[in-house]
Amino acid sequence: MSITAEISEKLQQGRAKAVKELVQQALDEGMSAAEILNEGLMHGMNIIGEKFKNNEVYVPEVLVAARAMNMGTEILKPYLASMGVTASGKVCIGTVQGDLHDIGKNLVKMMMEGKGLEVIDLGTDVSPEKFVQTAIDENCQIICCSALLTTTMGVMEDVVKAAEAAGIRDKVKIMIGGAPVTDEFCKQIGADCYTSDAASAADAAAAFCQA
Amino acid sequence: MEKHENNISVSVNGKVRRVQPGSKLSSVLNIDFPCGGHGKCGKCKVKAEGMLSELCDAEKKHLTEPEIESGIRLACKTFILGDCHVQTLEKSSTDSKILADGTMSDFTLNPAFSSYGAAIDIGTTTIAASLYNTSGTILAQSSMLNPQSVFGADVVSRIEAALKGENNALAQSIAKALDETICDLAKKTSIKPDEIDSVAVTGNTVMLYLLTNTSTEPLSHAPFITQELFGKEFTAQSIGLTAINADTKVYLPNCISAFVGADTVCALIATGMCEKSETRLLADIGTNGEIALWHDGELTVASTAAGPAFEGVGISMGMRGETGAIDSVALKNGEFSAHVLGDCEPCGICGSGLIDAIACMLDTGVLDETGYLEDESVAISGPVYITDRDVRMVQLAKGAIHAGINTVIKSNGITYSDISCLHIAGGFGSYLNMESAARIGLIPKELTKKVNVAGNAALSGACMLLLNRDLRKTAKQIASHAKVLELSSNPLFTDEYMEQMMF
Ligand code: B12
Repeated sequence: MSITAEISEKLQQGRAKAVKELVQQALDEGMSAAEILNEGLMHGMNIIGEKFKNNEVYVPEVLVAARAMNMGTEILKPYLASMGVTASGKVCIGTVQGDLHDIGKNLVKMMMEGKGLEVIDLGTDVSPEKFVQTAIDENCQIICCSALLTTTMGVMEDVVKAAEAAGIRDKVKIMIGGAPVTDEFCKQIGADCYTSDAASAADAAAAFCQA
Repeated sequence: MEKHENNISVSVNGKVRRVQPGSKLSSVLNIDFPCGGHGKCGKCKVKAEGMLSELCDAEKKHLTEPEIESGIRLACKTFILGDCHVQTLEKSSTDSKILADGTMSDFTLNPAFSSYGAAIDIGTTTIAASLYNTSGTILAQSSMLNPQSVFGADVVSRIEAALKGENNALAQSIAKALDETICDLAKKTSIKPDEIDSVAVTGNTVMLYLLTNTSTEPLSHAPFITQELFGKEFTAQSIGLTAINADTKVYLPNCISAFVGADTVCALIATGMCEKSETRLLADIGTNGEIALWHDGELTVASTAAGPAFEGVGISMGMRGETGAIDSVALKNGEFSAHVLGDCEPCGICGSGLIDAIACMLDTGVLDETGYLEDESVAISGPVYITDRDVRMVQLAKGAIHAGINTVIKSNGITYSDISCLHIAGGFGSYLNMESAARIGLIPKELTKKVNVAGNAALSGACMLLLNRDLRKTAKQIASHAKVLELSSNPLFTDEYMEQMMF
């Protein structure tokens, strides 16, 4: 088995320590950081994402895999920076104001990072103004909002309005999600995209950034 | 110009009503909308024909081909465009099992009434009540489904409805239900309702806010500020009760926080656990999942929001514990053997059956400890099956309860072995097979042998507060000294949750 295949496999098993060691070993063997990232770490995360979409694995497995991925990317970071490798897009994500549920949001973040996107995590209880200001200051292509309460879903509409008011609506895509959200709601409030799971969210975000 | 005012006739089960074009089918029906009318649960199926909006995506998702062909629609997503006929589907909700019995710790009599007193527990789903005389003898019990269910299954959906302007309708509907309950108690005892001269009404915080028509806006979002925590008397008139005298006192016990209410305080009174020196745990396994730990003279409470999976909501073939529901499953020679309520053909599965079924699936090995199901679904009995998605919903719900218990225990620096008793309160907990519950990790297996099924402890606590008014001081003390453990943004909870989602 090639070392990248091994990294991918250990990542899928959530074996963070093994991933860390293998990444270091690959670097020592002279492999490029970009190749380790794409063929090893991101490859593994993509497989986990597919399995998650098909209900073969669930939240805990995704989280441990993502933890392993983070351990690997920590080591790669300085190498990637020195090689001038940059993320394929920039996203800010948060759970809307009045809502502190963050497990789904964290999964979306991890899956997006697994697609090579840079994700700014605004945490929970995020006001519409903060979403928009971050998008402006950090030049984000996408704003991602998560809500788990039917009573906080409405804040997502305020985010769309705030983006309009700030004059950035044509420059930024707004993605929304969380258990009570539907595609119909997405259309109704004028957001750009809804997906029911984190892996599809990452696919959609990657597609937006390529367009 | 044509005037579009109530000029459309809709026949509902044969009765004609006039409505405005563009109204939703849900507005003319008196059925349950578990998800609050968001097209998420697919439980508001009705048969409808005539001038109606086209099938929307949510309907396509929840309806099968044959259902679509026979004119089945989701009432919450269908708009009335012109004359039409609607028929609600056969569903007997009158035979639901509603629990009114519960444990009561010892107490002396000092009634808060002079001839008859009633205690009522307003559950999110069910209402249960007891009538007493001054010698402390129980004279009658009564129960019914909470009519507010038409506004949504969980407390947040009810808040949402209240914020949309239905607050008066919600208050009136619960007041009417309480009146009916009181009349039923009186009738069963052959007394006149107005001979009941004192009432104690418990319930979760949201139920008491809706009853008293207190603004639920602060309860609709974090930080969930509670301007009112009760622990006081109202007059019957002020909360809209008409079955008893206008100035009859209605006592509402203290709540602790937005999501740990008077029902939990009453359950604590009923178990008497805060009077003891030993360490005890209370868990109300339901949509809100309240957990309380009494340790070293201190009370810690938390709410873990498991969701309504155990009431059958969000489960493909899920239903309440009514006729036709599989309520228990066991393995016989490696095959599933299901018991059906009402001894008829099964048409769905209720919470206790669901937990048994998952435990059996783990035992046979079709389901592994990560929750991975090789096939898309597993047949349980007759047409009833469990899908891979259902298993995931159970993982979310049971993981939340178990993680809530563990977080409360660990943040007090104790272990399972320090706990002398786990009181399980609430209707669902009473029908639960504890072995199965431990097998799937709904409760810690280390505590299985220490379980005490407390039944409807909220109601029995309310009865005690009616029969001994001095205990109201105790209730107040319990509520004001309780330490609320916040589980949101609690790293310990998140770690525990991930671990306990596994089987
Ligand atoms: C875990 C949980 C909690 C935990 C939260 C821990 C945490 N750090 O997040 C705790 C116990 C703290 C909690 C608290 C509360 N909860 Co809660 N909670 C749940 C529970 C059980 C699971 C939610 C979850 O994490 N799901 C797993 C994740 C992975 O799924 P997800 O978030 O939907 O995300 C997926 C997709 O939606 C999508 N996605 C998510 N975000 C985004 C964003 C974008 C842009 C995209 C594209 C996609 C996307 O991708 C994800 C992965 O595929 C649900 C009930 C249930 N069974 O679902 C209730 C539930 C959400 N909670 C509920 C309630 C009421 C509360 C409380 C208000 C009350 C209470 N009883 O304590 C509090 C308040 C919390 C707060 N301050 O905001 C209700 C909401 C009801 C309603 N009508 O809105 C629910 C539905 C339970 C119920 N029926 O009563 N809760």
